[in-house]
Amino acid sequence: MAIITISRGSYSKGKEVAEKVASRLGYQCISREVLLDASEHFHIPEMKLVRAIHDAPSILGRFSHGQQAFVAYFRCALVQYVKEDNVVYHGLAGHLLLKGIPNVLKVRVIADMDDRVRAEMKREKISEEAARSLLLKDDEERRKWTHALYGADPRDSSLYDLVVHVHRLTVDNAVEIISHAAQMAPFKTGKQVQKKMEDYGLACQLKAGLADSFDNVGVKSEYGNILVYARGNEHHVQRVRKKAREVAREMSGVNDLEVHAVQKLPLDVV
Amino acid sequence: MEPLTSEMIMVMIMIGIAVFLFIVEWVRVDVVAILMMVALPLLHLVTPKEAFVGMSSNAVISIIAVIIIGAGLDKTGLINRLVGPILKIAGTSKSRVVIAISITVAGISSFMQNIGAAALFLPAIQRISKSTKIPLSQLLMPIGFSAILGGTMTLVGCSPLILLNDLLEPFGLKPFGLFDVTPIGLALVASGLACFILLGRFILPQGSAESAEETSQSPIENTLIEMGEIYEIQTPVNYTDYREPVLVDNLKRRYLVNVLAITEPPDFKVLSPTGDQEVRSDVHLLVYGRKKDIQRMVEVEEMQLKEAPVIFKRETEEGASGAVEAVVAPRSPLIGKTLREINLQDRFQVTPLAIYRGEEAYRAEIGDVPLAVGDAVLIHGEWQRLQVLQHEKSLLFTTPVDVELLRPEKAIFAGFWLAVALSMILIFNIQLSVSLMTGALGMVVTRVLNIDEAYQSVDWRTIFLLAGLIPLGIATEKTGTAAWIAHTILNIIGDVQPIVLLTVIGVLSTIFTLVISNVGATVLLVPLVVNMAIAAHTDPRMAALVVGLATSNSFMLPTHQVNALYMGPGRYRSVDFMKAGLVISIVFIVVMIGMIKLIYGV
Repeated sequence: MAIITISRGSYSKGKEVAEKVASRLGYQCISREVLLDASEHFHIPEMKLVRAIHDAPSILGRFSHGQQAFVAYFRCALVQYVKEDNVVYHGLAGHLLLKGIPNVLKVRVIADMDDRVRAEMKREKISEEAARSLLLKDDEERRKWTHALYGADPRDSSLYDLVVHVHRLTVDNAVEIISHAAQMAPFKTGKQVQKKMEDYGLACQLKAGLADSFDNVGVKSEYGNILVYARGNEHHVQRVRKKAREVAREMSGVNDLEVHAVQKLPLDVV
Repeated sequence: MEPLTSEMIMVMIMIGIAVFLFIVEWVRVDVVAILMMVALPLLHLVTPKEAFVGMSSNAVISIIAVIIIGAGLDKTGLINRLVGPILKIAGTSKSRVVIAISITVAGISSFMQNIGAAALFLPAIQRISKSTKIPLSQLLMPIGFSAILGGTMTLVGCSPLILLNDLLEPFGLKPFGLFDVTPIGLALVASGLACFILLGRFILPQGSAESAEETSQSPIENTLIEMGEIYEIQTPVNYTDYREPVLVDNLKRRYLVNVLAITEPPDFKVLSPTGDQEVRSDVHLLVYGRKKDIQRMVEVEEMQLKEAPVIFKRETEEGASGAVEAVVAPRSPLIGKTLREINLQDRFQVTPLAIYRGEEAYRAEIGDVPLAVGDAVLIHGEWQRLQVLQHEKSLLFTTPVDVELLRPEKAIFAGFWLAVALSMILIFNIQLSVSLMTGALGMVVTRVLNIDEAYQSVDWRTIFLLAGLIPLGIATEKTGTAAWIAHTILNIIGDVQPIVLLTVIGVLSTIFTLVISNVGATVLLVPLVVNMAIAAHTDPRMAALVVGLATSNSFMLPTHQVNALYMGPGRYRSVDFMKAGLVISIVFIVVMIGMIKLIYGV
């Protein structure tokens, strides 16, 4: 009865922890499937999607319109999975992509740098120096990515409900702690939470539908009443409105749709 | 020709300052007029008496009287009652809608302020557009232009014409009668309408066709015609058990349902509750919303929908409360502010329900939408509260709010005194200001409206704009500046035919009225053109008449108040006004000169 996101660096045993938590709780464990789904649904080559989602933004620190669209597709696919509930997601920025859903247990699994270096050396058969440099580069890329998209540093522990350092604690210890936490009251899915998840799903779906034609739009939904915020003049807003209606017609669960022109997008939108 | 004196230079500088301030609008136009009223006597360009002579001018008294008569007619609900039948006649064909509404609006604006006539029909036109799928941009411009053109149908239709006789007085010229301009005005309205009917395809923007294409009736289409209704519902006894607290705001956001009133145990009633009011068990709510939204809420929240209001029976009676549409006027202090900032709920205890903008209805989170000119806000509240809001004058109400104070039984008196005023002018040839004031007084005496209501209805901005600019006209004339400019221009253009001179004056007035207000243009130009006409041996009265009429030729830029009002809802750009406005402006000048030649044989 919960959604667990596990954020991890490479070689920090996060994947192993996620899989074991899922099997212990009888949940579905997802990661790569989301990418495949998004690529299939929105007809984007998987490689392109992977690069948009994993690579750090350009030198100016800004996400290109294309990248933003890919993130929207990815989030849309992810939300469709977690709406089913009882899911463990491990991979990039799940805790940030799902921030509109209240009952997500956000976990970060970290490992000792030396352990990670050793693991990488063993698997890739490279020197210690090379392995360390690769890991540092990888960590930096991810830091830039989350920073550009959410202004957050993945190392900031306040983004998570739980940070587990797998070093003295074993993988099994971590699994036990996380499974125990997942069954606590704040992470149970009640009626209100279910509604919120559905609404978040609608908002993400509409946003994904708009993403390839427009940036600078924000979407939110409450009980199926979708509200799209668009920046720009009245003619631009009218174009957004037309497209939004087209997209919404193909969606189920939409009760009402409005498009408002705003100077600045509100904070609580997708 | 007289040499240029230092006084003339001073007057020209003052004119320059006035024109500059009119264009940049650092201060409001009426403040510019008051500035002139004070500065001119200080500079010894007019005597102190002349500086304030505008206050006692016939024009100002006439305008006060016209406004009071208009308010009287309004009080009896006569004008508002026109809206329904006219819409029925209009039907759904585009030409018929345009013709029927345009003629009505033109008729109304021939005896009251153009902007009022234009605002009156705005929400109705928006609904017609949505239900007939005729893009709003194709309806509003013809109707707005007709409101402006309608002002030329009588001598009291617009400020420049009201002023005209006063400006002729110093020259000892014969004043114009109330209906002297009517044939010209009718021809102007007819030709304007004909242009739109025949050339509409070419001169009106074809945009927002997408809204016309949308034919599917899926639930997400916002339709203006789908107005809400008022229902009473009750929460179950165990409503708050096993349920997170539900606030009034939650109902609004989740179901787009507005709570107008709620009971509070033991037996209090809270009208227009604030968003953070909790909805408790076993309470009654008076709500406003679309039927499907209400049904959804009742189902999900397990509430009970009543067939008719019981607890709130008294509050929902027609005389007690209701919903009105109020339009955001040009120059309203509310432009750019959100309803949350304006805080109607706390200040007036009324509930805003929806915002209509262009062809869209906004219901969700309307508190955060910055208001724009031409937005219509649907507001529910007790009539008395709505009246207080109306008196604030930041919104133009399109439905009369003072139902209990509405005096339909006085309609006959209102009509009688209007007839008295008109016959005094027409048959007994009594001066305009005296006749109109008689009509206004008659309405007060027969209690169509009381004297306080009469005072309150007067728009002081218009009064001071008129009165303040008159001394500028006097100074221009007295110092010989007008004569000097007139002679200089005539020397440059040489000897011309009267008809050519009148055309030049028409074009000049059109340009002036586009950049400075129509009143400003009239006051500055009339002394000038009278001098020019005398020097060129043309009838000076006709020259003045051309100015009075052509200052309504304000179509090429959205500077006229009516154009400013319709610009937002019609989603017009300035270029749309230039395109259609250019055609209408040229036709205006041709028809005006043609009619003057035909009637007065210039």
